[in-house]
Amino acid sequence: MVVQLVGGADRARARALVEAQGLSFEEGVDDLVGAFEGGALVATGARAGDVLEMIAIDPAHQGGGLLGELVGELVRRGLAAGHQGLFVFTSPRHAQSFEALNFRLLASQAEVALLEYGGRFEAWVEACRARLRAHAAGGGAAEAGAVVLNANPFTLGHQWLVEQAAARVEALHLLVVREDRSAFPFEARRRLVEAGTRHLPNVAVLDTGPYAVSALTFPAYFLGPGAPVPQIQLELDLTLFGARIAPALRVRRRFFGSEPGCATTRAYNAAMHRLLPRWGVEPVELRRVEAGGAPISASTVRAALARGDVSALKALVPGTTLAYLLSPEGRAVGARLSAAPGRHG
Amino acid sequence: MRIARRAQAGTMQSSDLMVAVEPAEALSVEIESTVKKQFEHLIRAVAERVLAAHGVTAGRVRITDRGALDYAIQARLETALARAAEA
Repeated sequence: MVVQLVGGADRARARALVEAQGLSFEEGVDDLVGAFEGGALVATGARAGDVLEMIAIDPAHQGGGLLGELVGELVRRGLAAGHQGLFVFTSPRHAQSFEALNFRLLASQAEVALLEYGGRFEAWVEACRARLRAHAAGGGAAEAGAVVLNANPFTLGHQWLVEQAAARVEALHLLVVREDRSAFPFEARRRLVEAGTRHLPNVAVLDTGPYAVSALTFPAYFLGPGAPVPQIQLELDLTLFGARIAPALRVRRRFFGSEPGCATTRAYNAAMHRLLPRWGVEPVELRRVEAGGAPISASTVRAALARGDVSALKALVPGTTLAYLLSPEGRAVGARLSAAPGRHG
Repeated sequence: MRIARRAQAGTMQSSDLMVAVEPAEALSVEIESTVKKQFEHLIRAVAERVLAAHGVTAGRVRITDRGALDYAIQARLETALARAAEA
């Protein structure tokens, strides 16, 4: 029987079991469960938000029904907590075990497979298509371009990139990253992208749903020490985009801005050049627009907002974004930014 | 009955199924199964018979099945409905 692990001693047993399987134990999960036999912990697993983690079964007890019991209990708890679906990142050699539990493979890379329980991907694609059909220019387009952006917040740099991209394709889909781990909440980021691109009739604003693999939520517990975690994470994200999202939304080109400053974004851009053509998606890198001799980046905007430097903001963001930044809601984000140090995104 | 709240029943074990129900404006039944190709229509028929017998006209029903027999499908769905009903 799978039970919730309570108390420090059981947590220590879970840690030992997880580490004995060559995985690493991570704190801060929402649920930690396990199964005992004769007083010994023989299986454990955890859930952090809508991601199942640290699933480990003692080798002597593998091959039976324990995985189903463990995952079933974690899924039950996840659904009861209000999640519509659950994800698991695992080694590709374990993907089949999860498929037998009605998980479905979303994307697989050499080191990691991403699977989903609850079949939300098709529902997300259908919601995107419905939005595109409702949009005058986007629905009928045979081929589209895409820009994936966090827009934290939407700058003149984003606007310039979108205008350039929109001029080169019949329809352009903007996929705003839905994950809410940025300074500006998702709804505000999406609204500002819509306001700042309303003058472009062939641009439709969508969002990534949960189908962007972010560095912030990517669990690396099953990768051995020394594994190139950021590289694996971004390759998985691009595989999901190229193999699943692009064909579903008829995306043939992905546009992105060149990034001289940030190493993370530079590595991501290099991977797009290398990987996207595999799935028939043409990577198109556009030079970033500058203001006052430096490229415009959202982090520059957040720094100016934290300083309360309105004249700097005017040179960096469109009027639609500026109006929001000067609103009570925008100023509240500014106050939080000046209280806490900045972060990429 | 009326599906008034989110509820679940069942397990992920072989020969069992998990049922999750929640309130919705229309009635929908989503089925995932390891034997979907062969048996989806039969699972759906059982689910629709149980829903009709209980007078359920609205709600979202999600079934993930691992080869359960009809009586298990009926029992799990009825349990989920009982847990989802108004007090």
